Amino acid sequence: MHLFLAIIKESVIFAWAALAANRLRTFLSLLGITIGIFSIITVFTIVDSLEHNLRTGIQELGNNVVFIQKWPWDFGEDYPWWKYMNRPVPNVQEFERLQGRVNTAAAMAFHVSGRKSVKYKNNTVENITITGGSYEYDKVSNFDIAEGRYFTEAESNAGRNICIIGSTIAETLFPNGEYPVGKQIKMGGRNVQVIGVFKKQGESLIGNSTDAQMLVPVNYVRNFVDIRSENLDPYIAVKAKDGITNEQLKDELKGLMRGSRQLSPEATDDFALNETKVISQGFDGMFEVVGLAGWIIGGFSILVGGFGIANIMFVSVRERTSLIGIQKSLGAKNYFILMQFLFESVFLSMLGGLIGLLLIWGLTLLIGDSAGMEIFLSRSNVILGITISFLIGVVSGFVPAYGASQLDPVEAIRSN
Amino acid sequence: MKRPKIISIICIIGFLWIVFTFPGMFSPATKKLGDWVPAVYGFIIALSFISYIGVWHMKRWGVEMYIGVVCVKQIFFLFTDQMGFGAIVGIIFSLWFIITFLIYYRRMSLNL
Repeated sequence: MHLFLAIIKESVIFAWAALAANRLRTFLSLLGITIGIFSIITVFTIVDSLEHNLRTGIQELGNNVVFIQKWPWDFGEDYPWWKYMNRPVPNVQEFERLQGRVNTAAAMAFHVSGRKSVKYKNNTVENITITGGSYEYDKVSNFDIAEGRYFTEAESNAGRNICIIGSTIAETLFPNGEYPVGKQIKMGGRNVQVIGVFKKQGESLIGNSTDAQMLVPVNYVRNFVDIRSENLDPYIAVKAKDGITNEQLKDELKGLMRGSRQLSPEATDDFALNETKVISQGFDGMFEVVGLAGWIIGGFSILVGGFGIANIMFVSVRERTSLIGIQKSLGAKNYFILMQFLFESVFLSMLGGLIGLLLIWGLTLLIGDSAGMEIFLSRSNVILGITISFLIGVVSGFVPAYGASQLDPVEAIRSN
Repeated sequence: MKRPKIISIICIIGFLWIVFTFPGMFSPATKKLGDWVPAVYGFIIALSFISYIGVWHMKRWGVEMYIGVVCVKQIFFLFTDQMGFGAIVGIIFSLWFIITFLIYYRRMSLNL
């Protein structure tokens, strides 16, 4: 073992000396691998970041939540919209009928949303999303409150004019660090009291970030808006109890909804039971295509980089043929010569790969949040980058290194 | 000794197989199986390549390495649940290669 480590150490020293002696050549050959690793890992980093962002956004909608809606979530090419057009939208009466009757549900909320402008003194935020939610809305949706509190059941049932605002709205309406909680703001000419501020979420690719949202009790909204209107996208969100699958919950909801709508046994459902799983599945195909494109582009770059290293190693062996001859005549074993050149190639390749990874890491820091989403270099991509560089070094360096190890010492010394 | 034609053909098939399967290491499908899966898969391919070079030069270590790599590859496929039709075709080809290599094994060199 000690001997093996000593050989490795000596091989590394030899390889380093050879690389340092030809700096320009070293730089040019590792540039190929740097560009290869940079391009392939950049594509994977962007794809992974996009996917992470989308999945986080979908998760915020709730993983074990079933949405009772008019339109089914479907990403197929043949969406039979004409079948769904005349369906009724879910309403508050249906929601109230379902409440307490769904044994598999842990929480249930009615939801509507529309767009309005809000104002505080001279500051206005135009066209923000106003969400009307029933009391258990916080249990079926994932969000945190940074300042203040959520509605009480009494406030929600009474339809009090209170609201929770998003961080972007709070920053615009109260620009000088004024504490928003307790302030009266105007929503479409009506006074609403701020009781809480959502924790900042950042931009979401599926547009469900609470940063530019305002949540009010649905019983307050129904005082001045017709919540049966389809324009308000009314839906009932039902969260399953722990240990209950979405399928079990859907089965029960289907029976209750059919009963509630008095559908005959042969009639088809006139409602959709949607799950966030469908959205994730819809994006899977897209990510596969983007990943495949990155794989092809990056694959070719890596291939070119590998050929570059192999070429440089052949030149290196040819240049040092007489030196190999001297080493072998002084007793150097074949495996020592092999290791020496193999280490040189792996070292060169890994150096190029590490520079490529460093460039990507620097780029992710530089871009930061300006891309509208968090871009990060994941552990799996770092492992992949290092592994590819190592293997390219081994594969492209083995043939020249093996050739060098098989040289006849006498012929090698005479070669120059 | 001079390399038999059948060994040359097998090695060429092997090199071509490596060229086509190496990009599979960083394919989205392999990446999905886990953080370390592409790395292990890559090592298997790189070792296969080295073993073919050994066989090309009529070295016994090439055959020994090839048999080892084939075994490791099957274990890897079993663990990553990739024992499909492609893997079975691969096993048949590998067995053919191993039998051919073993026929010429005694005529191969013991040195590196």
